[in-house]
Amino acid sequence: MRNGSDRLRALNVQQQVIVELDARGTPTIVKRETGNEKRIESIGETWRIDDEWWRVPIVRRYLEVIVEGGGRMVLFEDLKTGEWFAQKPT
Amino acid sequence: MTRTPHLTSDGAACCWIPLFPLRCETARQPELASLPVALAGPDDTRRVWQVSPLARHAGVKPGMTVSQAIGLCPALKLCEPDPVHYDAQFSRLLAALGQVSPVIEPAELGRAYVGTDGLERLFGSPQQIVEEIQMRSAECGMRNFSEGSFAPRNSHIHSALRIPNSALRVGWGRGKFVSWVAATRARPGEAVIVQPGDEGRFLAAQPLAALPLDSDTHRRLRQLGVRTLGALAALPEEAVVSQFGRAGRRLWRLAAGRITEPVVGRVAPEPIVAALTFFSPVAGRELLELALDHLIVRALKDPRRSGWRVQVIRARAELEQGASWLAEATLKDPSVERERLLAPLKTQLERSPPAGAVERLVVEFTAFAPGTAELQLFARDAHAAARAGRRRALRTAAQEIKLRLKCSLLYHVIEVQPWSRLPERRYALIDFDT
Repeated sequence: MRNGSDRLRALNVQQQVIVELDARGTPTIVKRETGNEKRIESIGETWRIDDEWWRVPIVRRYLEVIVEGGGRMVLFEDLKTGEWFAQKPT
Repeated sequence: MTRTPHLTSDGAACCWIPLFPLRCETARQPELASLPVALAGPDDTRRVWQVSPLARHAGVKPGMTVSQAIGLCPALKLCEPDPVHYDAQFSRLLAALGQVSPVIEPAELGRAYVGTDGLERLFGSPQQIVEEIQMRSAECGMRNFSEGSFAPRNSHIHSALRIPNSALRVGWGRGKFVSWVAATRARPGEAVIVQPGDEGRFLAAQPLAALPLDSDTHRRLRQLGVRTLGALAALPEEAVVSQFGRAGRRLWRLAAGRITEPVVGRVAPEPIVAALTFFSPVAGRELLELALDHLIVRALKDPRRSGWRVQVIRARAELEQGASWLAEATLKDPSVERERLLAPLKTQLERSPPAGAVERLVVEFTAFAPGTAELQLFARDAHAAARAGRRRALRTAAQEIKLRLKCSLLYHVIEVQPWSRLPERRYALIDFDT
């Protein structure tokens, strides 16, 4: 998104992260771009979003996770590209 | 804001490009010139709005449904309307005409009057002035559909000029009505000049349809055996008035060449523009209404608006895939209240929404009336005055921060699509000072 007085800046834009998966495909570690790495203690709710099928389809698998230290994070996998992102819980 | 006085001129040149929006499309896509083309309506895209001669030859008529039109002419090339583009092209034409005369009065898309009083000192004879108009407008690139398909015209009481391939028809005469009728008699690229004193003779030969008549009056006049303006003017004025009332008097006077409606130059204060680019195209009506409201508030804050009430408000949108949308409203009572400015745009948004998702939305105040209803000194309620004071203080603080840090770090949080399933689409920040 470009800067400028006539531009909106989206809030809660997803941040790309690196997620390590175990043999069953379950996320185990999440690494931020800053190098900060956290182990995933447990996975809570999971849900899927399919949206904007009429334009550029958006297909995401969301996971609500508890990381070491008790922090709550929302991760999602872009099922079209296989990339992982973190987003603030809402 | 510039306060241009009204400029008027009895001498008029009517510049007319019929089917202006369709010609804008053929100018943009020259390959359309050899195809049967129709333009969908800006208010109802299921109906045909304008039709090229080739499509008309195949039986397609304005007002038909698109399916009827395609049934009649399977090769029909249907274009989506792009009103913003047509508006921009017409503005170009007006600007080109403005190089010839300072008195320009736009009548409708594709038709404008040029005030000609005093131009002879600059350009010479009426023929030379018309030539100047044609040369200037030729730069706008409006060409005829079937180039070279007509023969040079022999004039009778009026002379004619000809610019090959141009779609512009020029009518010259005293007053807007005579010049308009002359323009309707001109062929594409040509001009019809009605010399001073010849108005009566010129008008007498014109058909009744040249008058601005409703269908009922037209039918009644034809039943009375009146076929031409000359026949109407030959009737006693009072007899026409007794049959048709005040409207009849005006028709009789127009037909007899007794009315000279001057060209009135536009009062042209600089338009105030506020724009918003969405980070992802938006199709929801609620969000567009919200954005229009935000832009109206922003445009109202423009210091140039001070002392003026808004008379004409226009919203335009750039859509996905290059299309556009335009809504314009003229307020009977000019206003500075955002609700009153927003209401007509909301109605138009509801009635004829954009044909696609909106990428950029622009609100323009294009005409103003003097005076303002917002004098803080006389604020009726103290709370409102206090709120205004706080807002002013906040604005001053924001400006100071911006000056010190060279960038604005204060934002409003606004709802964008609070119902969206995608979290990043729900809320956004916008600069505080916008």
